[in-house]
Amino acid sequence: MKLSCYMFRRKLLVSAFSLALPTIALAESSNANLQKQIDELQNQVSALNSEVQQAAEWKNPNTLVHMAGYADVGFVSPENGNDSFVVGTFAPIFHFQYRDVVMLESELEFEITEDGETEVALEYLTIDWFVSDYAAVIAGKFLSPIGQFRQNLHPSWVNKMPSAPPGFGHDGAAPISDLGVQVRGAIPLGSIRANYAVYASNGPELNSVTEDETEFELEGIRAEGFGADRDGDKTIGGRFAILPVSSVEIGVSIAIGKATVTELENEVEPPTAGLEPGLIAGESARDYDVIGADFVWFTGNMSLRGEYVKTQIGEATTGTTAGESATWESLYAQLAYRLPKSKWEGVIRYADFDSPHNSEDVTQTMLGINYLVSNNFIAKLAYESNDGTVGEPSDDDRTLLQLAYGF
Amino acid sequence: MKNKLSNISNPLFKLSVTGFLLLFSYSASTTAADFPQAGNFSNGSKVWADNCNRCHNIRGPKELRDDQWISTSFHMRLRAGLTGQETRDVITFLQASNTKTVASGATQVAAVISKGGTAKETYEKTCIACHGSDGKGAFPGTPDFTLKEGALSKSDEVLIENISNGFQSEGSPMAMPPKGGNPNLSETDVGNVLSYIRKTFGN
Repeated sequence: MKLSCYMFRRKLLVSAFSLALPTIALAESSNANLQKQIDELQNQVSALNSEVQQAAEWKNPNTLVHMAGYADVGFVSPENGNDSFVVGTFAPIFHFQYRDVVMLESELEFEITEDGETEVALEYLTIDWFVSDYAAVIAGKFLSPIGQFRQNLHPSWVNKMPSAPPGFGHDGAAPISDLGVQVRGAIPLGSIRANYAVYASNGPELNSVTEDETEFELEGIRAEGFGADRDGDKTIGGRFAILPVSSVEIGVSIAIGKATVTELENEVEPPTAGLEPGLIAGESARDYDVIGADFVWFTGNMSLRGEYVKTQIGEATTGTTAGESATWESLYAQLAYRLPKSKWEGVIRYADFDSPHNSEDVTQTMLGINYLVSNNFIAKLAYESNDGTVGEPSDDDRTLLQLAYGF
Repeated sequence: MKNKLSNISNPLFKLSVTGFLLLFSYSASTTAADFPQAGNFSNGSKVWADNCNRCHNIRGPKELRDDQWISTSFHMRLRAGLTGQETRDVITFLQASNTKTVASGATQVAAVISKGGTAKETYEKTCIACHGSDGKGAFPGTPDFTLKEGALSKSDEVLIENISNGFQSEGSPMAMPPKGGNPNLSETDVGNVLSYIRKTFGN
């Protein structure tokens, strides 16, 4: 009995030992595998950490580099003339910012002409110094702070129509840009907000045209940021706007200065002997006065805005282009409504432009429908009804298609 | 055997620690720029809703990265006539709303978002920027609470889930972030503000 009991316990012990051996071996194997995985993971973490540190350099520098801008392409179908595909504008905007102290801003504008040439222009180049919470000093070539359209609404992805209102484009009633220095900022007045911009600049220049090469008349105002002040007097101007409630902004603008004729069109060689480059003998510095007013009201899916600008050039008693004063005047009103829960938006715009040249005067009514693929990518279809002088381009109705993308 | 088991558990512990270090090293290294100073999230959302739409279609926070929003906002400060403080506020709002996983940014923002308070206070601090004081929506695409067949026709259960986890309405330029971007709101706050919205704007 003792022997059999001993034998049984021995067998049991051998069996238990035999069973335990694979378990121990399995545990050692799992441990080794896990240790190997940890080593690999630690190596990966170390490598990843190094990469992340490098990537973080881009997230945490004192200088930020940023590019924005917009571009548009389209199709124009005039009532009198050939239909054409067009590339409107490619306008990259570069930002170089040092902390919250200063920002260099620059916008280039690339356009393709009807002849297939590519034109490049410096739309603006400014150094913006944020001197306080309420003021920034802006030096360089800046978009004119007169009114709203030029400084805020002209980018094609912002403008709800495929064209600018007459008088607010180039050579119109509203100045495009200026070269000088500007101070602008915001003023909190309790529940009311206000913003301002004041500037001093070289001001615009004038060009004149002749049909018989003997008598000249003013053709237009070139208010596009000249790098010299040929009339010798700085233009002073600015805009003040008040927001009585957050959905309403009302602004008034003014500019005063001098401007002189620096270009005679139709390839006439100007009399410049003995004068600084760009000056024309006998041309005087004429008064240059601009006044403007603008408003916007938006609520929910609707926005209503309007703008008026009047530019007056004083008379000249001497010079090649001696003559009476001349006035360019334009206004527009625009209503936009986005259908609820949809990407469709309807727009109507009325504009009236008067210039010293009857052939340019136009009353324009425009109907448009936009599809917002996204909020920065918009497809626009508009019909432009122009009531101008019969036979002139200002009287030609147009249908316009445009794809505009803001980035 | 016990010893062997502890050896096995030790690597598992190491594995956990390694994973934690991995996450920590990632979040610590992706700290956003240390400028400008953090602003007020709630006011920033109001500045964003009140000003951007005045000139152009409103751009959703997720369209740009944190650093891009800094430069863009300084650019827009001059265009829209914002004060420096309003600019800092809107940057704080946009940076906190463009992703759910900016760890350090979220911490920074949480510190400046006030807690719920009464339901009316919660609405006015957290919801009003996008939904408006009249509940009709501050900009295109935001649901109109006053419509009979509008957002409030959904059940409390659905709406609480939408508020708690975030939701993008049809045609809206951005998704509502979880709890309207205010992580300090409790479940009770969410329920109370929904009751306030129903009582104030519902039919």
